[in-house]
Amino acid sequence: MNAEPATRRWRDGQGEHIDVRGLPPPQPLVAILRLVHEQGLAGGAVIVHHDRDPALLYPELAERGWWAERVDCAPGEVRLRLSRST
Amino acid sequence: MALAATFLGNARSRLLPASIPFRFFGAAVAFHLLAWLALLAGAAAAPSFAGGLGLPLAALHLVTLGVLVMTAIGASLQLLPVATRQAVGSPRAMAALWWCYVPGVALLTTAMALAQPWLLAAGAAVVVLALIGYALLLARNLLAAKGMALVVVHGWAALASLGVLLVSGLSLAADYHGHGIIDRASALGLHVAFAGYGFMALLVLGFSYILIPMFALSESPAQRPAWASVAAAVSALVLAAMAAFGTQPAALWPAAIGLGLAALGVHVALMVRAQRSGMRPKLGRPFVLVRIGWAGLAASLMAALALALDARFARLASLFGVLLIGALLSLLLGMLSRIVPFLASMHAAGGKRGPPLPSALTAERPLAVHFGCHLTALALLLAAVAFDSAGLAQAAGAVGAAGALAFARFFMLACQRMQAVPALVPPPVATRRV
Repeated sequence: MNAEPATRRWRDGQGEHIDVRGLPPPQPLVAILRLVHEQGLAGGAVIVHHDRDPALLYPELAERGWWAERVDCAPGEVRLRLSRST
Repeated sequence: MALAATFLGNARSRLLPASIPFRFFGAAVAFHLLAWLALLAGAAAAPSFAGGLGLPLAALHLVTLGVLVMTAIGASLQLLPVATRQAVGSPRAMAALWWCYVPGVALLTTAMALAQPWLLAAGAAVVVLALIGYALLLARNLLAAKGMALVVVHGWAALASLGVLLVSGLSLAADYHGHGIIDRASALGLHVAFAGYGFMALLVLGFSYILIPMFALSESPAQRPAWASVAAAVSALVLAAMAAFGTQPAALWPAAIGLGLAALGVHVALMVRAQRSGMRPKLGRPFVLVRIGWAGLAASLMAALALALDARFARLASLFGVLLIGALLSLLLGMLSRIVPFLASMHAAGGKRGPPLPSALTAERPLAVHFGCHLTALALLLAAVAFDSAGLAQAAGAVGAAGALAFARFFMLACQRMQAVPALVPPPVATRRV
């Protein structure tokens, strides 16, 4: 019952990555927003690796002055680049 | 920015069309007003109401079928795909469901108000037909569910409860013609227990495992106690069914109620912990209504226990009904006042500036008016039952109707603001390489 996949995070030249694939809702939303909050303090982009369009995320991003754009990736994955609105 | 806007367009396309959930919510808002007006008109008989055709029965079903079930259908069509990763059905099927269910509820409650048994049978048949359609959509979705087993189990238990409440409801409607298939007292016990605590409460409790952490932005509640809560709730319903059919009612009703209280207590403790530990622990006035709803559910179970133990108070059945319906109504309206701006934001186009903020789509003043009127109306109704006062029931109806108008204003403003956002012009490229 508790064998849920864990969130993975790493950093590269594109920004801070977070992989939330397989997590039940609303855990992807919470994990991404925690990272957005951290990055909001540090600055920089967040790359999200998801398994579906996170429709619930966008109003929350808008509330925080962030926005999302889709990035090319393998089939079956939804990859987003989140950054502060200018 | 254009890239973001396009992507958001793609995300929206995977949502149900806004017209689907919003048509159910809109009907619930209208029936909410009609329910309080029916109470106002039938105030003389309301405080000591314990069944029978007339305006109080119409008011009761305007709330249960017109507001609670209507909202539950709209919310579940939108939320189930999030939990089960499966589409619920085609938008056309959902629109057809609305077109069947809404006139059915209107016909049924009109027949109740006018005390017309044949019209009531026709209305009941249409409502049952619509709810069978909903049950089929729900069952198909749950059968193919992937993940979120806790929410899925709540869904199955709610679905089974829906079956019991439909059969018992049909039996009660047929009983007015002398053709009830279940003994009237048993059917009534089943209908109340499985409508209030089975179908409605289990659906609300199940979706709360998504909604409360989503609104509070917190981790999911601990799984083990959550499973214990749903197990206790289902066991309580099984015991209630046995008691309703006359199996050791003196022992089984209190046992069922005790298990129900335990299930609710564990659930509320998990939800409060989730709310307090989230990134957004302060959820405003809507969650005061949710908390009042939880307290009201517990109070209704205490009243049910007093009924089971034959406590001496002439209008205990009415008091129980007001507590249960008031609790569920508070819970659902609290949730709805958070869901509507959020959904409106997801559905609004947003143009190059991204989606509009949920806070820009809500309307605090009408919500504040509704909050005050709702709580005042419930308090007046409880006092009307306690003191057997038609005047207090009338005042409750008037204040409740004023609150319902304010809630309707909030809903209309959210819809208007959602539609006022300029539509997107899709750019040719949706993605980019990083």
